[in-house]
Amino acid sequence: MPSAIRVEHLRKVYPQSTRGVAALEDLNLEVPSGRVYGLIGRNGAGKTTFVRICSTQLAPTAGRVEVLGHDVDREEREIRSRIACIPQESRPLYFLTVEEVVYLYLKMRGLDRAESRRRTRDALDELSLTEHRNRLVSRLSGGLRRRTLCAMVLASDADLLFLDEPTTGLDPIARREVWEAIRRTSREHRTIMLTTHYLDEAEALSTRLALVERGRLVLEGTPADLRGRVRYPYRVTIQGSFPRAELEPYGRVTEIEGGWLLFTREAEAREVARRALERNVRLSLGPVSLEDIFLDVVGRSIDEDSATEGAET
Amino acid sequence: MSARHRLRSLFTLVLLNGVIPIRTQPLYLLNLLASPLSFLFFITIVSHGTYLPFGVTGGMILTMLSVGTGLQSDLTHYRHDLKFQDIVVASPVEAPVYVAGMALSELVYSLPALAVFVVIFTIEGYVTVLSVAVVAGTLVLVWGFASALAFTLATYFQDVRETFMFSPLISLFLTVLPPVYYPIAALPAWAQVAARLSPTTYAAGLVQGAVGLAPLPFSEALIDWGVLLAFTAGFFLLAAFKARWKEP
Repeated sequence: MPSAIRVEHLRKVYPQSTRGVAALEDLNLEVPSGRVYGLIGRNGAGKTTFVRICSTQLAPTAGRVEVLGHDVDREEREIRSRIACIPQESRPLYFLTVEEVVYLYLKMRGLDRAESRRRTRDALDELSLTEHRNRLVSRLSGGLRRRTLCAMVLASDADLLFLDEPTTGLDPIARREVWEAIRRTSREHRTIMLTTHYLDEAEALSTRLALVERGRLVLEGTPADLRGRVRYPYRVTIQGSFPRAELEPYGRVTEIEGGWLLFTREAEAREVARRALERNVRLSLGPVSLEDIFLDVVGRSIDEDSATEGAET
Repeated sequence: MSARHRLRSLFTLVLLNGVIPIRTQPLYLLNLLASPLSFLFFITIVSHGTYLPFGVTGGMILTMLSVGTGLQSDLTHYRHDLKFQDIVVASPVEAPVYVAGMALSELVYSLPALAVFVVIFTIEGYVTVLSVAVVAGTLVLVWGFASALAFTLATYFQDVRETFMFSPLISLFLTVLPPVYYPIAALPAWAQVAARLSPTTYAAGLVQGAVGLAPLPFSEALIDWGVLLAFTAGFFLLAAFKARWKEP
């Protein structure tokens, strides 16, 4: 399968960075086309910088970035004709109606009137915005404004969509409507680069994921791959009286309301389950979630930092 | 993007930033009328009507300059607060189309002021083929350099509030201090030299000369056109090299 995005040794240092800290460092990544690709990481990890470089808004400092087979430095025009983007914290123009936001965006991209009308109608319908179509953006809630922006880019003719935190501020039902629209768009063999803080969203939508921490790629693969690469791929929840000391040799133990949460390996998980059943303690067992993986990897990074700072002081 | 698509993008931007906001808030139309009419009123009253023609010619130039300062605020607001420019960058719309569309859209707001001045201009009997051609050409150049300057400055502003600080300064140095509302001969010799640093001095000289408010020999008119064109080209070059579409 051809790559929608191919990144080699990407480095970005912002010119205004006084200490010369790299926002992205030696990043290598390949995003397959026709899929939803999730990019996750903490605030300031470099996700938005990556999206801005790939969507030709920001110049890289070093490395090679190819988007849809074109170089981001030399062939911006070719790339721009085939992409669309919702930047983080973007808002629709407040004096337009919901319908105008979508329709005028499509016209601005060069689509004709009939095509723009048809795509606008379909997108508003899909994201349950039809009843709001004549309302001014200034009178909408934050969630509806965000949904309007989602409708705008999903209605476009772009082959590659960059959605930077597209569902921030949406209620659970609206989020799922956006998810469904994203899935439908990806079924049209269009590629979606999704950055999100909602790990359930990344897991539900993405066929592949990348975890970025401090500008570096920490983990990359399918959700199943990522589970296979963490220290403890299983989580065991124990509700009831069980001595912590007996759990600690099996993995990482965290106290939760009324019991313990243990991150462990498969064999150890079975052993703990057997012991818990002998003690007649309630227990649930399953693979770790993306959130667990995130906390494990990012937590380790924070621990390493604290250790370094401690050693320095 | 084909030429037809570029035109479609351009007119969509004019509609989006110039026509539709007026539907939501019609008072926008009066905004660009306020300052030039205030000056016209003040000058006419103080001079007992003698300087009314200067109020009209100066008002036209101020109106076109205000288009630029309005553009500067809009571009900064769209770039930083709404991230609209980022949306446009990551789309087939090219930078010159965006700039031209936004600059044209600001012209829509200047139409009421221009209409008022054209009416007074006509009533005062200044309409000749030559005066109309000179005034129209001059105003197009003023609009051009004001828009190019606005696009360059908007690149460097981090917040729309910074534009509130710059706009009065631009008005001061390009409209109030230079001889836009009065003849250059009214200035002392040293100030006339200083006034030559402002492109609006040449624009005002041409307009005032075309309607017979101040003497303008043909050779001087040629120099004024040349300098005004050079200023406009300079501001366009500045915008082309300094204004950022893609961030470094």
